[in-house]
Amino acid sequence: MVENARDPLVIFMPSGRRGRIPRGQTVLAAARELGVAIESVCGGRLTCNKCRVRVEQGQFAKHGITSRDDHLSPASVEEIALLEALGSPEMRLSCVAQVQGDLLLFVPPESRGQQQVIRKAAGDQTIALDPAVRRVTALVDRAELGEHRGDWGRLRDALAEQWQLDARRIDLHALRQLQPALREGNWRVTATLWHDEVIDVSPGYERASYGLAVDVGSTTVAAYLCDLYTGELLATEAAMNPQVSYGEDLMSRISYAMTERSGLDKMHRAIIDTLNRLAAAAARKAGIPPRQIHEVVFAGNTTMIHILLGLSPVELGAAPFALASRDPLDVKARDLGLHLHPAANAHVLPSQAGHVGADNVGVLLAVEPYRGDEVTLTVDVGTNAEILLGCRDWHFSASSPTGPALEGAQITFGMRAAPGAIERVRINPETLEARFRVIGEPRWSDEWQIGPEVPAEEQPSYLAAGICGSGIVEVVAEMFLAGVISADGRFDTSRQHRRLRRVGGRPAYILATAEQTAMGKPIVITQDDVRNVQLAKAALYAGARLLMNRSGAERIDHVVLAGAFGSYIDPHYALVLGLIPDVAPEQISAVGNAAGDGARIALLNRQKRAEAAEVARWVRYVETAVDPDFQEEFVAALHLPHARDPFPHLEGVLPESAAIGPPRARRRRHPRQKGG
Amino acid sequence: MTDESENEEINIQEMTTPELLELMQEDLYDGYADEVVEEVNEALARGMSPYDVLTQGLVAGMEVVGVDFRDGILFVPEVLMAAKAMKAGMEVLRPLLAETGAPTIGKMVIGTVKGDIHDIGKNLVVMMMEGAGFEVFNLGINNSVDDFLGAIAEHQPDILGMSALLTTTMPYMREVINALKAKGIRNDIIVLVGGAPLNEAFAEDIEADAYCRDAAVAVETAKKLIQIKRSKSRA
Repeated sequence: MVENARDPLVIFMPSGRRGRIPRGQTVLAAARELGVAIESVCGGRLTCNKCRVRVEQGQFAKHGITSRDDHLSPASVEEIALLEALGSPEMRLSCVAQVQGDLLLFVPPESRGQQQVIRKAAGDQTIALDPAVRRVTALVDRAELGEHRGDWGRLRDALAEQWQLDARRIDLHALRQLQPALREGNWRVTATLWHDEVIDVSPGYERASYGLAVDVGSTTVAAYLCDLYTGELLATEAAMNPQVSYGEDLMSRISYAMTERSGLDKMHRAIIDTLNRLAAAAARKAGIPPRQIHEVVFAGNTTMIHILLGLSPVELGAAPFALASRDPLDVKARDLGLHLHPAANAHVLPSQAGHVGADNVGVLLAVEPYRGDEVTLTVDVGTNAEILLGCRDWHFSASSPTGPALEGAQITFGMRAAPGAIERVRINPETLEARFRVIGEPRWSDEWQIGPEVPAEEQPSYLAAGICGSGIVEVVAEMFLAGVISADGRFDTSRQHRRLRRVGGRPAYILATAEQTAMGKPIVITQDDVRNVQLAKAALYAGARLLMNRSGAERIDHVVLAGAFGSYIDPHYALVLGLIPDVAPEQISAVGNAAGDGARIALLNRQKRAEAAEVARWVRYVETAVDPDFQEEFVAALHLPHARDPFPHLEGVLPESAAIGPPRARRRRHPRQKGG
Repeated sequence: MTDESENEEINIQEMTTPELLELMQEDLYDGYADEVVEEVNEALARGMSPYDVLTQGLVAGMEVVGVDFRDGILFVPEVLMAAKAMKAGMEVLRPLLAETGAPTIGKMVIGTVKGDIHDIGKNLVVMMMEGAGFEVFNLGINNSVDDFLGAIAEHQPDILGMSALLTTTMPYMREVINALKAKGIRNDIIVLVGGAPLNEAFAEDIEADAYCRDAAVAVETAKKLIQIKRSKSRA
């Protein structure tokens, strides 16, 4: 519409949206034009009373207008009667009141439609509520002799006329409900639309609508139940992925699908059962029937998504790692065996490449590193690390095989983050004594009172049981800073100390003494543990470095750590270890389960789905394993923090031995250290 | 390590030959390629045979590297540096060895199997095997049965090495071994397999000759099995 300066100026509060509206247009039409959501059910038939607004009286210098009652068309007898009956005679019904002059209109909370509600998500971005599911109430023409549109045709016409909605399809489930609903509701029905498809018809007025966002991880499945009408997060439920019993990691699950005839089917049914249980539990917690869950949005790695959809993951087991589909997908939840609304849609976020899946696209949506001018490194650390590097102009992604060491596997005393797991470590470089903190006990180990003479209430709540991911990063970094190991990861065996022992002939550091542990034997960090951490961190660093090389970026401005591991890791130690390239420590942030947040964003806003599809195609995937520089980068990154790359932000922190020295003097006799 | 005494210039011409070989081994261990080349040339200038320089100098040096790698004292970067120094020394020796018709320790064809694109671990095996004096033909990643059979026909190796880093790609090794059987050449060749998801039981199941946990074990196993095979064929 072309604005005419002589048209009245209409301002809606509290949104502040404003624009010039031709005289004679209804307030409701003006609101729609200006993007202000006002609830309206009856579509101007003076029956629903949902669309009340109040005219603010007086001169408003700030806005440069004078707003008065008579700048709206006079209220009809019916409107006045209705408003009085509702106890709000000062209000007007926006569906009938027409603009006649400048107006400042207040939209009370009960009249505000969905789209004004804004929810916070990860990365502090605001999500405008614009779900794919919408419920509207329409008054449908009665069936009459000699008129043959059919009830579906009449509903479609009513939706077009009263809601400007172009309903193109109707799900069989909704069609079965249609005729009884129309008659029971005396031709007033609430239609539930998913995009342009009617998926439910019920008599009368109804608004309650819910959606589920799910991140299907290889280890954990997390479900978020949201109110699609308010955007509110009602319940969060998580469970172990039951497929763990068929294979700990992705490749062993693919292998199970390859070798076991009914392997895929078993894994598919296991995850569907778990999803049904999660949905039921979340619904119970929120006090809603699972049948009112009108949509579910899935994020997950490519293997999990394949199995979820009942697609064989076999092609993902070997190069060239072909995906069945990279595009976003919409299927009926019932076809997957999910017990939600009978016609609920299941939306699957798109993927980028064979092993960069919908979970990474979820991370992209939640973090939005593609909006800024500065270069952001986004890392989701798991058994595979998914790495994103870029800014608004370009973005690269890679998948790097970090292995499970950073999650506690492959480490002698490694364990998952649970009570008793060592999560923080400090080693005194003078004395080589260690102190640590375990999950579930706020005191550091050097403040513990242990022994039979100490009353139970003063004993630590948990003794040390093992070491989890963040503790592993800290202990190796601290051992390096204290000189227990050198920059190449090797134990300094020239030192004699009661904390340094040999385990199976190999050097080891005693992190927790026997009396500090639940097992009554010391927790040690062995040479092999250090080597496994080196391998894991080098894979991650090399992946990030290759993306820097590929893009020509010389430095990184921000680092975003996604996933559970990233939430607990201390940025300082991530740098000391050389897990990531140099960056200012205050520019490292953690965002938790960003994949799940991304699924929630896509659930609440359908525009974000289009954005996800676009971004997923735009990001350039780099197959690091076949990059000619990968080996060199990997080997250089085995060093702590790195053999070649400088770490200016660690100046004064690193031991001198780690400094990159001048080129070696020629012909230097260098006594070999025999047997360490 | 900036100690004065450790930086002194050494005149290798003034050394005895055992001292020279010891220095060669130490420099190899430390990955000093240029120095190793100088020492190889000096040993040759003294009239040592290329074969003796290889076995008593380079291979003996790499053996220590292998042991320390196995024991966790050295790690991948140090081994690669040592292997590079070894390679530099070998480049001097190789043409001479060919000329003199010195006996070869053994030939190996190695590659990562089809569907798998990882090769750092396998490359380490290649370097250690070369370090032990083997002639190695590295087929790289993603090799089909035909790729392996073709390379075997061309190079007539004593050993076939196969690597896989994924649970999903390791079953392909069985197909290669079955193809060797079908061609009737399974018993002519020693098959060694390795890679993160493998274990001894798997190697036994697919009827490989041995599973090698790491590059150092691969060298030890290769030497041992070649010796057994040669003593059998002589018997």
